[in-house]
Amino acid sequence: MNNFERVRKSALQKWRNLQSCKIPVIYLGTASCGRAAGVMQVLDAIEETLKEIRLKARIIQVGCIGPCYLEPLMDISLPGRPRISYANMTPTKARKILKSYLIDGDPQSHLAVGYFGNTHSEDLDGIPSFYDLPMMKPQVRVVLRNCGLIDPDDIDHYLANDGYAGIMHAFTIGPEAVITEIKEAALRGRGGAGFPTYKKWEICRSTPAKIRYLICNADEGDPGAFMNRSLIEGDPHAILEGMLIAAYAIGASHGYIYIRAEYPLAIVRLKNALARMRRYGFLGKNIQNSGFDFTITINEGAGAFVCGEETALISSIEGQRGMPRSRPPFPAVSGLHSMPTIINNVETLGTLPNILRNGAQWYKQFGTEGNRGTKTFSLVGKVRRTGLIEVPLGTTLRKIIMDIGGGPVKPFKAVQTGGPSGGCLSEEFLDTPVNYESLTAAGSIMGSGGLIVMDEDTCVVDVARYFLNFTQNESCGKCAPCRVGTRHMVEILDRITGGYGRPEDLTTLQSLGETIKRGSLCGLGQTAPNPVLTTLRYFRSEYLQHIAERYCPATVCKELIEYRVIPEKCTGCRGCVKVCPTGAITGPRAEPHNLDPSKCIKCRACYEICRYDAIAGDAIIIRSLRRSSDEYAS
Amino acid sequence: MSTLAKTATANIDGRILEIEAGMTILEAARQNGIYIPTLCAHPDLNPFGGCRLCIVEVEGMRGFPTACTTPVAEGMIVKTNTAQVLTERREILNLILSEHPASCLVCDEREDCRDYMNTVRKAGVTTGCRNCPNDGQCELQEVVQYIGLEELKYPVYYRNLEVDKDDPFFDRDYNLCILCGRCVRMCREIRAADVLAFKQKGSRTLVGPAYGRSHVDAGCEFCGACLSVCPTGALSEKARKWRGKPTHEQVTTCAFCGIGCRIRLLIKDDEIIGSLPDNDPLINNGQLCVKGRFCIAEAVSSRHRALRPQRRWNGSAAEITWEQAIDLAAARLSACPPDRFNMIISANCSNEDLYISQKFVRIVMGSHNIDTGTRGFYGPVFNAYLSLLNNAATMDDLRKASLVLCFGLDTRFSRSVVGVELRKARGRGVKIVTINSRPHNLTILADIWLKPVPGREKGLIHALTDLMATGEKTPGISEYQAGSVGEGIAKTAELLSKSRSTVILVGPEFVWNKTGPDIVRVIAELAQYTGAAILALPAWNNLFGSVLMGAYPEVLPGGISPTDRIRMNQLKQAWGEGLADLIPHNESVKAASKRRSKIDVSYFIGEVPTKLMPSADFLIYQNMYVPDISIAADLMLPSAAFTETDGTFINGEGRIQRIVKAVESPGEALPDWEILCRIARKMGKNGFDFTGAAEINEEIGGVVKGFGDFNNPDRNAIPFTCGCELAAPQIAASGKNKTGRDFPFLLYSSINENVYRGYPLSRWVDGLKHLVPENVVQLCPADAEVMGLSQGDEIVVTSADFERVWPLRITCSQPPGTLHVILRGEDLVGLGPYPVRIRKYHVQDSR
Repeated sequence: MNNFERVRKSALQKWRNLQSCKIPVIYLGTASCGRAAGVMQVLDAIEETLKEIRLKARIIQVGCIGPCYLEPLMDISLPGRPRISYANMTPTKARKILKSYLIDGDPQSHLAVGYFGNTHSEDLDGIPSFYDLPMMKPQVRVVLRNCGLIDPDDIDHYLANDGYAGIMHAFTIGPEAVITEIKEAALRGRGGAGFPTYKKWEICRSTPAKIRYLICNADEGDPGAFMNRSLIEGDPHAILEGMLIAAYAIGASHGYIYIRAEYPLAIVRLKNALARMRRYGFLGKNIQNSGFDFTITINEGAGAFVCGEETALISSIEGQRGMPRSRPPFPAVSGLHSMPTIINNVETLGTLPNILRNGAQWYKQFGTEGNRGTKTFSLVGKVRRTGLIEVPLGTTLRKIIMDIGGGPVKPFKAVQTGGPSGGCLSEEFLDTPVNYESLTAAGSIMGSGGLIVMDEDTCVVDVARYFLNFTQNESCGKCAPCRVGTRHMVEILDRITGGYGRPEDLTTLQSLGETIKRGSLCGLGQTAPNPVLTTLRYFRSEYLQHIAERYCPATVCKELIEYRVIPEKCTGCRGCVKVCPTGAITGPRAEPHNLDPSKCIKCRACYEICRYDAIAGDAIIIRSLRRSSDEYAS
Repeated sequence: MSTLAKTATANIDGRILEIEAGMTILEAARQNGIYIPTLCAHPDLNPFGGCRLCIVEVEGMRGFPTACTTPVAEGMIVKTNTAQVLTERREILNLILSEHPASCLVCDEREDCRDYMNTVRKAGVTTGCRNCPNDGQCELQEVVQYIGLEELKYPVYYRNLEVDKDDPFFDRDYNLCILCGRCVRMCREIRAADVLAFKQKGSRTLVGPAYGRSHVDAGCEFCGACLSVCPTGALSEKARKWRGKPTHEQVTTCAFCGIGCRIRLLIKDDEIIGSLPDNDPLINNGQLCVKGRFCIAEAVSSRHRALRPQRRWNGSAAEITWEQAIDLAAARLSACPPDRFNMIISANCSNEDLYISQKFVRIVMGSHNIDTGTRGFYGPVFNAYLSLLNNAATMDDLRKASLVLCFGLDTRFSRSVVGVELRKARGRGVKIVTINSRPHNLTILADIWLKPVPGREKGLIHALTDLMATGEKTPGISEYQAGSVGEGIAKTAELLSKSRSTVILVGPEFVWNKTGPDIVRVIAELAQYTGAAILALPAWNNLFGSVLMGAYPEVLPGGISPTDRIRMNQLKQAWGEGLADLIPHNESVKAASKRRSKIDVSYFIGEVPTKLMPSADFLIYQNMYVPDISIAADLMLPSAAFTETDGTFINGEGRIQRIVKAVESPGEALPDWEILCRIARKMGKNGFDFTGAAEINEEIGGVVKGFGDFNNPDRNAIPFTCGCELAAPQIAASGKNKTGRDFPFLLYSSINENVYRGYPLSRWVDGLKHLVPENVVQLCPADAEVMGLSQGDEIVVTSADFERVWPLRITCSQPPGTLHVILRGEDLVGLGPYPVRIRKYHVQDSR
């Protein structure tokens, strides 16, 4: 029996032992998202409670399973019972559930959101299967299959779930066949542009060189995107196995993971995983007796968005300023230290083990012609159910937003795909299948997979300004169109949202945007105007309202809105008077208050307190008044 | 790229062109006379693709690729000026100009404005906008004119940054910067210095040393390479900022050190306004140091230049005509017996000047009493140092070396073209070892830094040779090396034994050391043992020539010893007369030393009398600059600078280098040889009827190998021949070098090498004072703390022989227990290191 079979067998045994554990097993989602929601306090509470009730239980920290809106998540699995998931944990809730379930055997089914496994539901007092939840049901989990289920720090958990079977298969078929397999599976780069993965590999492999490099691009910088982080935190070995497969296919001997320093937990997980890989013989010289040598270095980025661009990323690893250079030559021919280099996105690499393990034909069942496989998205913004999701390519936006995300509470307005480099699509695109071509045709891009949903409370001009401001700040400053052009655009948008828009601004924005798209050196500049160009195309009327009427329908643009107290509704509770930082609101108790607009700084504090204060109700409103152009000219 | 000289056929703007493989579209277009506007591309630098102005259309390629970065491929069809390309270019230029104050580019009045810029008023007034020092030389102006932009579409974002004037030599107005990155790439790719970088991001992106340091602190060498490539007025020379465009240029040789870089002098209104490097692949290959780049114009166009002859009359100087001056000189010299005359000439003078001087001394004065100030400068090490010039390595050897050993060399401000070569060599994998007791600019570059314990330098080098020879470590090897035990020596020995070609560079650091002669000797031994070539890099541009021309009592032109009868006869034939009367040189030297105080006429050419030199009854001072009052010259003769005369130098490699007259001398200054010839003729001597340097050169050709072809000197190095040992002058030292408790510190001194014709350059060039501070004593922070001293204090340094007051500079680069001071030649206090004690200076001390 070779080494791999031996470690796999012991891992399976360990996994089975865990499934049939004699004491309760508590799973906690302690990825960054869970931690932000307060899972560490829940963990402390669980440990305390266990001590208190003098019960032993195993606590396993897992990654993120996806639904952010349910965080923090706690799963409890009692011997012989399925794993039951509880959402939105607080220390108090956790104590209550532990006490009642572990001591009395009452699973508190009204607090549970779902169970895992194939148990009959009658045992569970009506708790649905977790995967039958409306958010989970339409999803297909290929890349994310282990996230939230296994302990990311334990390589045995990964091995027990068919881990490293992909690379072992690759070793048996040889590098050329790996490339053929990926070609067959029609995998396209998940970093955004969707370039066929095998093509890059072939170019790299066929370029004669002493040394080749593989880089994993984990510099996920888009605001509102967290797919890569969650994947690394939940299942780091999937990416590392993917790196082994890719490196083996192209003949690379050294790999880099370029990851944002803002992802400390992901870095720790990767470091742990690398140490375990070394111990198990998946890294170093002669990996699993295959004759293949490979090492991996983790490179922490210093926080520049542009370093996600491959040539900038390379110069950053080389110790230079992260600044893109012109292509050709492409990195596959001359990249890191002028050697052939392949840069693959985290998700692309995470997909590879699945394809190698299950075969190209299996992978091709997902998606549509030309857009095979699944894609992860971070679904955020104004939807009821936010989170990390994975769907086959070709799924419509409507299905993603309305079915998985549950749609916005207020009427839907737009969705921004592809982060700051993408476009803002209106309702008419909801039935567009999500694939590389259709999104590009709509003026947006797939990007790495951020989906930001907006409802009617979002001002698209403000959103466009926000994204453009982001890219303009993150421009490396090398080429003039991107550095100066975006600045002009931001300035114009500032003017429009400030109520000083001019009629000719829209044409200037359009032509500037096109110049920047055509004239910029790298992907950052070439896509930077997308949010503006798409909103100009699909929400032109809103721009016109801002310019011609000084009117912001979403009541977002500060200069265009005013706060008012409605005397009929105001009960005079003085709640708003207390929170107003400038003393703009005055008035005695039990009498309608008075708001002095000249003192108001539009901080929204009174509005929030009025909305949530049961006594007062919605007595404070925000409104934007239409004004004719003559009016504000005077 | 492949070594096969393949070509590709491409179609650019409808022309079918054969293009060398690997060329970019821009290069191909330029070669074939097709203009594509660019701002960031530069022939010497790698493609950048930042300004985006060179966009073209290529059939089959998406969008608009930039011509500067796209290589030409077989069958490529390129269109450089389609309507869409032109529109895009105009748009992009508009964007660039919205970051650059552009009144000079698009102002309606700009044509008329030029004409009326200077008005006639009582006070000098200029009208019009003078907000850019680069007006008329700006590449942006050219591009705007080509693209034909008449008005700006976007508002201008003035960065409103203060013009940075803190660093010497150049000002930086980043309000004018268009971020083309040429300076950054120049600093990295060509100079390999990496001082400049892009800072910040987005629209706040700027260029400059990282972390907001000043150029001085960031290790800038002030080579000015960044200025030369700046397309705008963002970087400008302080000295000629508002002088405008030079009218013409003249290629010549820099006279400020023994490397002899080829330079281009920038000339306007018959005045040198600046200098740029020339692309001479043999020597400096397009690079310069701070002296060659910034100091020439200031030094030769100084307002302290001597303009007309002067004589001392009742204690004050009075201008006289040349006739009167020549009469006076001839009268005094005729009356002077040979053994009571001496001449001190500068090794900065050209070969022609040196040759005529020694001929003048030997034939007209019948004496051998000619010497250079350099001998005094090098002191006891002089003879040993000259021996290093034997079979000197060339810069080309350095470029081909596989191992370079640097002894006491700092290439930051002097010899920085060597530093560039070293950094480039390092990039090629060449090993570099530096031997210096103080941190210097090569320490971070070198593979091995051998750090001798102060005072034990000789032992360290000797131990290295020993290890090479015997394979055994000298006992107690570690005591020679501070910091680490003898490992560095062993590693160096290993590198030396493996190296195919080793070059040893000798810097000035160990020269003014008591053990200097020994150090130089052991270096020579090491070189002999390992077969390494030595490049001595003398500070004097014509030290080599001064020996070959015979400007010393012991040596005649061609390196002939006056005792060599056969060669003497040859010389006699060439000169025709006079030599028979010569006192044999040995006796002449003896006589000179015996009658040290009885000198009638002392003739200084390009040198300044110091306290160490014998005083004379009548002092003839012939130099470029007006002498200090303390010099009390009886007759002052103004001479020409190296930019105002023709001639040749021989650099440290032994190469004959031509200097060319670029401008007329200010006032009535004349070349040194011409003044001497006029005096000789006045004294009725034959053999001085030269009308130009070419004729002198021809005569030299008769006695010295390699000379004669004045206008096309042989660029190969000529051998250094010296028929006799040039004695090293002994500098009086009391020998009372007490050590121990009384004198706990060791004071090292070096002499400011940046000297031209007897004066430190910093006297005429303000910026240099800032970079190489003279008479400032350096001490390490730990010692300063123990002694209770703080930065800027004045301290009293006392040794057994002298007591001096110097301001203190505390710096980490000084090894503990030592002091270092850079002195002027005339301030030389003897030979270091001196055991000294220090204390803070109190006002009472002055009483």
